[in-house]
Amino acid sequence: MISDRVKQSLKREFSRSVMAKIGLVLVLVVLLTAIFAPFIAPHDPTQQGLEESNIPPAGVTYTTEEFQMVDGERQTVETETRGSLDHPFGTDALGRDLFSRVLFGARTSLLVGLGGTAVAVGTGVGVGLVAGYFGGRVDDGLMRFADIMLAFPALVLALALVGFFRGSDYQAIAIPDPFVRAGLVDGMPESFVFPLGLTVVVGIVNWVWFARISRGEALSIRQEEYVKAAKSLGASDWTILRQHVLPNSLTPIIVLATIQVAAIILLESSLSFLGFSGTTLSWGFDIAQGRDYLGTSWWIASIPGLAIVVTVVGINLLGDWLRDALDPGLEGEHGGGM
Amino acid sequence: MSQYQFILRRLLQGILVIWGVVTLVFLLRYMTPGNPVDFVAPLDAGQETRDQVAADLGLDQPVYVQYFDYLFGLIQGDMGYSFIRSQPASSIIFARLPATIELALAATIVAIIFSIPLGVISATRRHEPADYAATSFSLVGISTPNFWLGIMLILLVSVGLGILPTSRRPIGFVPAMEMFIFQLEIQGIRTWIAHMILPAVTLGTYFTAMIVRLTRSGMLDELGKSYVLATRAKGVPETLVRYKHVLRNTMIPIITVLGLQLGTLIGGAVITEFVFNWPGLGTLIINAIDVRDWPIIQGSLIVIGVGFVIINIAVDALYAKLNPKVSYE
Repeated sequence: MISDRVKQSLKREFSRSVMAKIGLVLVLVVLLTAIFAPFIAPHDPTQQGLEESNIPPAGVTYTTEEFQMVDGERQTVETETRGSLDHPFGTDALGRDLFSRVLFGARTSLLVGLGGTAVAVGTGVGVGLVAGYFGGRVDDGLMRFADIMLAFPALVLALALVGFFRGSDYQAIAIPDPFVRAGLVDGMPESFVFPLGLTVVVGIVNWVWFARISRGEALSIRQEEYVKAAKSLGASDWTILRQHVLPNSLTPIIVLATIQVAAIILLESSLSFLGFSGTTLSWGFDIAQGRDYLGTSWWIASIPGLAIVVTVVGINLLGDWLRDALDPGLEGEHGGGM
Repeated sequence: MSQYQFILRRLLQGILVIWGVVTLVFLLRYMTPGNPVDFVAPLDAGQETRDQVAADLGLDQPVYVQYFDYLFGLIQGDMGYSFIRSQPASSIIFARLPATIELALAATIVAIIFSIPLGVISATRRHEPADYAATSFSLVGISTPNFWLGIMLILLVSVGLGILPTSRRPIGFVPAMEMFIFQLEIQGIRTWIAHMILPAVTLGTYFTAMIVRLTRSGMLDELGKSYVLATRAKGVPETLVRYKHVLRNTMIPIITVLGLQLGTLIGGAVITEFVFNWPGLGTLIINAIDVRDWPIIQGSLIVIGVGFVIINIAVDALYAKLNPKVSYE
């Protein structure tokens, strides 16, 4: 499916661009973190311990002032807490290890990002190819519907749609952790909560971009001689769509999909931040928790946010690389996240 | 097709899309699980009361009757009553609108002030430190979740440095201006600005970053074209070449993309408002979704959708004015 010319172009652009290399490294690190989180994490990310709450990151000393009654008199007692390597990123207000939570949070972000993009690609490309290939009323109808969808910001539409899944069994499903199942690690959660409802929603609110771009491709490919030839040889519309139109419109779809993974991760973190995601193990959710402790424990809100930035920067760099290598004409126009 | 026919056609299309928006929003409530009677009737209400509530809300009617009731209500400006507060949804929503519009405009102004110069510097000093700085900034800018940026600004600027307030909007722009004009009192405007800076920067950063990227790549494209060489050969000063010719041609695609990205601006405003406790449409929607106050959710969605359609028509018209090459099809 990938021609030699495309491969060469990708390689050439990759060797030329420092940014592409940085992007690849960042994405690989996040990906490996997500997969092997139970092996790397020092603690169970959901385990609470109130005597260990609000411990600062390793190397950071943090002083609290408390009023205590000593011998019947009120005194200010300063308590110094020093972060240690036992909790490299410190702990949150419930004493959960922030480093472990950041590692496991990568799973949520990547799964929702990739899953949501798959939903958007599946719906959007399907609709777009059919609209562009058949044209006429089908095209008009589908594209007017796309216009209506576009009248809503992705985040607002997603907020309105999460209600469909609220309280239902599909809002979140538990996926057993294969490593824990196989008995390779101890003391880690046995299953991972996958926010299925949220994944479908973030996919649905982003399908239009794929529909538009694949429609445009289908419109132009439809006019090509080889499509006309295939048709005159008696190939069915479905065969032509699958064998000719889809493969030839893949390039811009892949570039857009890469950027959309980043946009969807941002959208997921926003919805988790607002508490609408159905999972409590997510970078956005942790930022929301830390927001209440800004004046005292700055690390709870800060560190998970850095994880989001690193991940999204990595994916955007990969997106830039693919765009520069595959399609210089695509620059800049992509769907909205957040 | 003349320019006016083009705009008229866009208007008619816009009305169709608005009708679609209303229909979609109606279906959304109809299809979302959960009976509104459960939220409106008292918890211990008997069947009789519940039936009465359902009748008051029109829920005992067939769905098409409910739909047309809602549609004709909307045409008369009636969005129903809030389930939680016994006020018309429309008056609650429109009371919140100015705060959101002010925030979105302020963010847009922040974005334009910072992005275009940065983009121009980046393109004209390619591969110099200034370019790397601007490119890195814009990359991080489009990759940062704005709610987190807002929280970090609160942490660093408000909590850390102790300047600028952390949240809320004690005074609107119009009352602040009235105070200044009628009482010559500057305090209102100062309060307004102090509370606006952090939210506007939070919301504006993503757009600043995005426009820097667009301006840079657009200008690099334009600078490579032969008319630039010809203009330089004529002896036109470089500054004039850059700002009068190249930048102007770069602006056309930027305006198109900005029109498309307006949704992102409003979506970003929703969450920025939440972070800064800003009393706009965004906090209203989030709270309404939390308590399933459907008339408010529906009304806000329609206001946003209609606003988006209208602004896009305006962008198209502006685009047609700016670019003589545009075909009115």
